[in-house]
Amino acid sequence: MNSPGETSSDHALDRRPIHPVTREPLPVRSQPGYYPGFSTLSQQKYWDAATRGKVLDRIHETPPIRFFTPDEARLMEALAAHILPQDDRDPSMRIPIVPRIDERLHKGRTAGYRFAKMPPDGKAYRLGFLAIEQIAKHSYDRSFQELSWREQDELLKSIHDAKPKAGAHEIWEKMPVHRYWALVVQDCIETYYAHPWAWDEIGFGGPAYPRGYMRLEHGEPEPWEVEECRYEWDAPPVAVSDPEGPDIAAHSEDPPQGQGGTH
Amino acid sequence: MKTPIGGAFETTDRGGVHRLGPMQTIEFPMKRYAENEEIDYLIIGVGAAGGVLLQRLARAGFKVLGIEAGPFWDTERDWVSDEAGSHQLYWEDLRITGGKNPLALGANNCGKGVGGGSVHWAAFTPRLHPSDFEIYTRDGVGVDWPISYWDLKPYYELLELEMPVAGPAWYPWGDPHGYAFGPHPMGGVGNTLIRGCTNLGIGVSAGGPVAILSGSRGNRPHCIYRGFCIQGCKVGAKASTLITHVPDALENGAEIRDRCMVSRVHHDRKTNRVTGVAYLDAEGTERFQKAKAVIVSGYAIETPRLLLNSACDGYENGLANSSDTVGRYLMAQAGNVILGRFDEPVRMYKAPPAHALTEEFYETDPKRDFARGFAIQTVGPLPIAFGKQMMAARGAWGWGLRRLMMDYNHWSSFGLLGEILPWEDNRVTLADEKDQFGLPVAHVSFSLRDNDKKLIEFAKNKTLEVMRAAGAEEVLQEARYAHLVGACRMGKDPATSVVDGFGRSHDIANLFVCDGSVLPTQGSANPGLTIQALAARTADYLISQGAVIFQSDKRDMTPPPVRPELSPPGTHGVGMPRIG
Repeated sequence: MNSPGETSSDHALDRRPIHPVTREPLPVRSQPGYYPGFSTLSQQKYWDAATRGKVLDRIHETPPIRFFTPDEARLMEALAAHILPQDDRDPSMRIPIVPRIDERLHKGRTAGYRFAKMPPDGKAYRLGFLAIEQIAKHSYDRSFQELSWREQDELLKSIHDAKPKAGAHEIWEKMPVHRYWALVVQDCIETYYAHPWAWDEIGFGGPAYPRGYMRLEHGEPEPWEVEECRYEWDAPPVAVSDPEGPDIAAHSEDPPQGQGGTH
Repeated sequence: MKTPIGGAFETTDRGGVHRLGPMQTIEFPMKRYAENEEIDYLIIGVGAAGGVLLQRLARAGFKVLGIEAGPFWDTERDWVSDEAGSHQLYWEDLRITGGKNPLALGANNCGKGVGGGSVHWAAFTPRLHPSDFEIYTRDGVGVDWPISYWDLKPYYELLELEMPVAGPAWYPWGDPHGYAFGPHPMGGVGNTLIRGCTNLGIGVSAGGPVAILSGSRGNRPHCIYRGFCIQGCKVGAKASTLITHVPDALENGAEIRDRCMVSRVHHDRKTNRVTGVAYLDAEGTERFQKAKAVIVSGYAIETPRLLLNSACDGYENGLANSSDTVGRYLMAQAGNVILGRFDEPVRMYKAPPAHALTEEFYETDPKRDFARGFAIQTVGPLPIAFGKQMMAARGAWGWGLRRLMMDYNHWSSFGLLGEILPWEDNRVTLADEKDQFGLPVAHVSFSLRDNDKKLIEFAKNKTLEVMRAAGAEEVLQEARYAHLVGACRMGKDPATSVVDGFGRSHDIANLFVCDGSVLPTQGSANPGLTIQALAARTADYLISQGAVIFQSDKRDMTPPPVRPELSPPGTHGVGMPRIG
């Protein structure tokens, strides 16, 4: 089975992170990241019932696609595979992203505000699909999903940089390109890093009521957490999304900003 | 899998009892007033201010009703220890945000449900400084308050015990004072701030002031350091009016009508008085409640929106808006997040996000090229918030995002809190679009001016310097804004303000505003404590006026006596501030 966004010209092997010295693709892992054996789910008996129910639903319930058309859902899968690539994950341990975004749009749930220059979220997604296809057609004379992985990544990088390749000028007049990009990337982040497998990957302790934490200082692990165990890896050579150093497009008058929830 | 001693944790169902934290319960049914029964004070919004008002006025014997748009939480059933699962706590109905520096709303600064924003605040509780009340006199910027720090100080002292606030014995900034309840142990982020400040010779406060219990008290357990403060404290350790004031309000006969959205405040042109409010109940049925006086406590967006939506004959530009000030002078604080990566792990998800700060740069410094100042505080983003910060601060996506997130445990983060001045054009107006009730939604416009930009640039660089001095090898910053106040400001002059120093509208004698929207300026302190202190002061004023407000338009500006006996039971006189 091809992974989302994969085309006949790509081999899954080429899309895997590589060893920095041997340049060989790294094997897929059931749990990437630097905390081997760490499992937030191993703690679920220590969580309160409401939290346990909500988190387990996230693993066992994948909502049906109701907002996106089948074509849109396929394109969205292809985008999500670049924004949060999971080629280092064992296919059975990949985190579904598109169904949760679809669910939010289907239910009309917003973040509580809309930027004055942006259309409603659902319309923004549809305009974005249109823009990406127009760019692919204009620049490569193919549909987005017919492009090579590298071409897809470069097309999206141009949107990330707020300097989109030509072909969709009229759409970006209606919808600021950096706001569109932030909307989609934030939705992907909100889905991936809500999943317990992602918590295991980054060493986050997950739900903590009523048990709590007792080792607060110096990054020390709880008895049920594990020490960090790092390994070196480079992004796959076909990807352009892992540059060295900050990689931020400038918007001096209208900078990207967090949706908060910090203080 | 190991099973906990005593078995897996299950929430005990106590037979329909409403739970506020694991130990505190409310027995139902509560008081229910009839719609045609004229109640004394109708409070719109049971949040930080509304909860305190409701409690004080009920305890003084008034017939009081709080109408709240969101639910009356049962915290054991409704809340989760989970970042993505807590959206219901935030006001996520549609709003439009614009201007040159559009504000993020929703989870960033707006609560919904009983307790309001005090349910999801990080609970930093510094007081304003005496200088904050007179920045026009001192610095020629903004506007002076109609009251002084010394008018509010007794209420700061009361609320610090009612929440209560944990903090150091000696807090050196502003009007120096001490806290009655002990400070919290340090976490990784707090240690970073202490190290950075100490290496630069900057004073720092550790372990508070924060409205989180460091030891159990009554029916509220102590903090368990799980770091989910802004997802709602299931533990019951962090103060919210839901658990600190609402139970006492209900016990004294107050009613809360939850999941009811007020659509307009009714005004009688002949008497120039308000008569009650129209609202939509949980089933969407339109209803009307009579009241002798109305207090709007909907916070800095919903309060002006409701007044604007209540335009009527005689107040065509919005109720109580003859000054054209309703919605204007909206403020947010600069809230840039400064992130630093350390070689050693930090694990910033442990301990409350709010646990150390410095106010060393709070006051105007003539050596700088801008007025007023800022604070530097700890913050503790959980993975989703951190990922969004990496997107905003570093342009992270794809494999770069995955790589940065794998290093989550190596990052520490500070938030600067900078004073942005009140500007006439930063305002709430009505948009063309309607919400699910058919009511025009708020349009929020926000733009920085020269002083604001200079302040943010200086504060950002200073905070980056502290992060580097703490030993960070890599530093990043994300532009952001925190909190909302203003938009129905208090003042002495009816031509340039909406309400007087007690929160009574200049235009209509039985209409009050009591929430963050009355603040004329904001300082660099988190506004939650000030909002609740102002509510306690307004309550004392209403109580001292007795029935006068219900029967006449007489405006008596005599300050009321402070009434510590109206504090929730067992809070006043408990604990001993060691200094101050």
